[in-house]
Amino acid sequence: MYKPDFPWSNLRAGSLLRPFLALASFLAFLPGADSGFGQEPSPSKYQVEAVFLFNFARYVEWPAAAFPATNAPIIIGVMGTDPFGDSLPHLIEGKMVNGRPFLIKHLAADSAVGNCHILFVSHSEASRMSAILGQAGALPVLTVGEDESFARNGGIINFVLKNDKVRLEIDLAAARKAGVAISSKLLAVADVVKGKPE
Amino acid sequence: MFQQLSFGKWILRGLVAGLVLLAPVVEAADTNQVSPPSADLENLTLEQLVNVQVTSVSKKETDLFASPAAISVVTQDDIRRMGATSIPEALRMVPGMDVAQITGNEWAVSARGFNSEYASSLLVLIDGRTVYTPGSSGVFWDAQDVVMEDLDRIEVIRGPGATLWGANAVNGVINITTKSAKDTQGGLVSASYGTEDQPITTVRYGGQLATNLYYRVYGKYSDHPGLESSTGSSTADSSTSLLGGFRLDYEPATQNTFTLQGNYYSGTAGREVNDVTLVPAAVRIIDNREDNSGGNILGRWTRAFSDESQLTLQMYFDHTRQGDGVGEAMLDTFDIDLQHQFAIGTRNDIVWGGGYRDTEAKNPPSFFLTFAPESQNLQLGNVFVQDDITLARDRLHLTLGSKLEHNDLTGFELQPSARLLWTPTRRQTVWASVSRATQTPSLAEYGRFNVAAAQPPSGPPVLVSVLGNPNVQAETLLAYEVGYRIEPTKRLSFDVTAFYNVYGRVAEPVSIPTTFETSPAPPHVLVASRWENAESGDTYGTELSVQWQPVECWRLTASYSFLHMQLQPDASADLSSPQQQFQIRSCLDLRRNVEFNGALYYTDRIATKSGSGMVPIDSCVKLDLGLTWRPIKSLEIGLWGKNLLQDQHAEFGSQESALITEIPRSVMGKITWHF
Repeated sequence: MYKPDFPWSNLRAGSLLRPFLALASFLAFLPGADSGFGQEPSPSKYQVEAVFLFNFARYVEWPAAAFPATNAPIIIGVMGTDPFGDSLPHLIEGKMVNGRPFLIKHLAADSAVGNCHILFVSHSEASRMSAILGQAGALPVLTVGEDESFARNGGIINFVLKNDKVRLEIDLAAARKAGVAISSKLLAVADVVKGKPE
Repeated sequence: MFQQLSFGKWILRGLVAGLVLLAPVVEAADTNQVSPPSADLENLTLEQLVNVQVTSVSKKETDLFASPAAISVVTQDDIRRMGATSIPEALRMVPGMDVAQITGNEWAVSARGFNSEYASSLLVLIDGRTVYTPGSSGVFWDAQDVVMEDLDRIEVIRGPGATLWGANAVNGVINITTKSAKDTQGGLVSASYGTEDQPITTVRYGGQLATNLYYRVYGKYSDHPGLESSTGSSTADSSTSLLGGFRLDYEPATQNTFTLQGNYYSGTAGREVNDVTLVPAAVRIIDNREDNSGGNILGRWTRAFSDESQLTLQMYFDHTRQGDGVGEAMLDTFDIDLQHQFAIGTRNDIVWGGGYRDTEAKNPPSFFLTFAPESQNLQLGNVFVQDDITLARDRLHLTLGSKLEHNDLTGFELQPSARLLWTPTRRQTVWASVSRATQTPSLAEYGRFNVAAAQPPSGPPVLVSVLGNPNVQAETLLAYEVGYRIEPTKRLSFDVTAFYNVYGRVAEPVSIPTTFETSPAPPHVLVASRWENAESGDTYGTELSVQWQPVECWRLTASYSFLHMQLQPDASADLSSPQQQFQIRSCLDLRRNVEFNGALYYTDRIATKSGSGMVPIDSCVKLDLGLTWRPIKSLEIGLWGKNLLQDQHAEFGSQESALITEIPRSVMGKITWHF
């Protein structure tokens, strides 16, 4: 009998990982990992989301007061279980956007969120979403999430998986409330845009 | 030689014609695929990012590291690098697997003991279809031809997988899966030629029929020459095989997926067999040519309700025919299976399901083996349930389950198991399990084998037979296993397992008093034994494997296994599997798209059946080396040398013949073209 999702015997990763992905993945020790040959493997959802988080910094404008200095870092906060593994730190290492480097912070359950510029709220915090977004809503924080409760509670950019592709749902009204401006280039690739652009 | 060349040209012409016909489909497929073929993820534009296909990862999937079982995976990359041309060859890479080549087309494959040409304690599945023959309770490896390039992976679980997989998964489960049609788009042509396998030609084309509807069709032809025995005589074991098939995958979204696949094969295989006759009373070795054919069709539907809940329904039909010039054996199987997976609260992940199988077996009598009855219709029903209980989140999991089966031969069989998984740190897992599994008797155990005959100088002829026993019961196994895995760094990991198996009611022929028999004529003395569940005993052992990647481009895998068997009263099966095995494999990526791969195997000595006696087989060290080169992205050229250390060596004997085939040193070249 075919049991594709037999819980502990299902290995789901391309057998070939390109060097960049190999660093990000804890599967490097498995047989067949990391050869760089053969068919193209598919990246995981979180690898693509990590690249999106990095890209948001290019297409979003924060109010001047959000940065203490011209070279102050762009802070990406991850609240809840971090699903990105090594892919996010590897991605931002040595990179700059608008002359600013990046910094990643892992936030505990009741941390103040105001210090971040981009706040990723993990699926694990679904039950506390209204409290988290209530706090972040009025602050110049670009909130990013991956579930329905995030979208319902006024999160700004929601990742949705459609046909195995990562799509974006953007709430402009929430963005306006937070005081962040989203470039039309980013709005153009989003599946759903709630609220009217200015 | 010239015949083979023109065959290749014919293939090439056929391909060009096929390409012209399929060009419109290829174009259609192209416009639907927007994802960039090889751009670095970080440099993609926003438009490209929203179109990248990601692997669907459900919350339920955990990696190999956290499995409470002795599990190994052979990937497509391993198969490609080592130039494995058959499934048994690919299985050599699994730690603790006992793989021995008997003849040019036969193998003895087992895990944790009891290896034989009719090794029956492994459950083997290809895309969910059982390839187990109830007649001999074994797997006819020569009939399991697959397109090696389209294999996704081979998952091997050593130890009883009976709870989920059912009876006859006593010593392990081998789950062979092919890639989805979505992942085999485009064309592939491969041709290999060598001193032992010559030639093997595979053609495959995959395309898209409509949005989310993918297909592939394939054909494969192989031709193996015969090998030689230790005395230098030919063993008449040449074989040919033709395989054709298709696969359709409809994947509108991750919630609903459908698969339909089928294939047809036809081949001939030669072997030397003992021809036992009573008139005259003698045993002669004759060349037997079998022709096998068969086809199957399988459909599967998977519906995902949520991240934690999924339903799978599968149905297949399989027809197998085997003729050997004397008679024709036939096996028809119809199987339907349902599996449902869901979560209760946050602590329980349940998998439950059931299935029904209807098998019709026709085994025409020959003097050598007579089945009783000749035609049988067997029905098998099962239900199972398994609960993965989270005792401490991400730390301690207890999995309890059981399968209840009913089969026409032995009635009800209960196969429970309990597995505990402890993850003390992110980089270590400890697991332990206790399971019960059963092995349904093979149909041959109900029939009669005439093993040998002889005419003494005076008196009536003597016939040696093994008589069937209608009351033979299922064999039982109680297995205790533990395992530990640690990954000290991202480039190094260790995996060790140990097991203690208690076997009961193992069937074996037990001597009965000699009698006189008048039928079949002429009257003769009958020296007989009867199948009885008279054997029992225990086995224990350990399997250790290490994976190390000292530098980015070099990967080493090594494994060691130890097995000790104690069966009574007849200890001959103790020797059929090697006590120790060791292997080390190296995969090295050189510059300019060249890979250099090698594997060294050590197998301890064994004693196997050979004709009507036992023969020792020496321990051996085997070395395989391979070089692959990818001059352009769509072309791969490979060259392999296998069994390099000896001119030829024996691996296993057969009770069919007193001649032991020796496996020679061989060289193989292969060209693979993707388009």
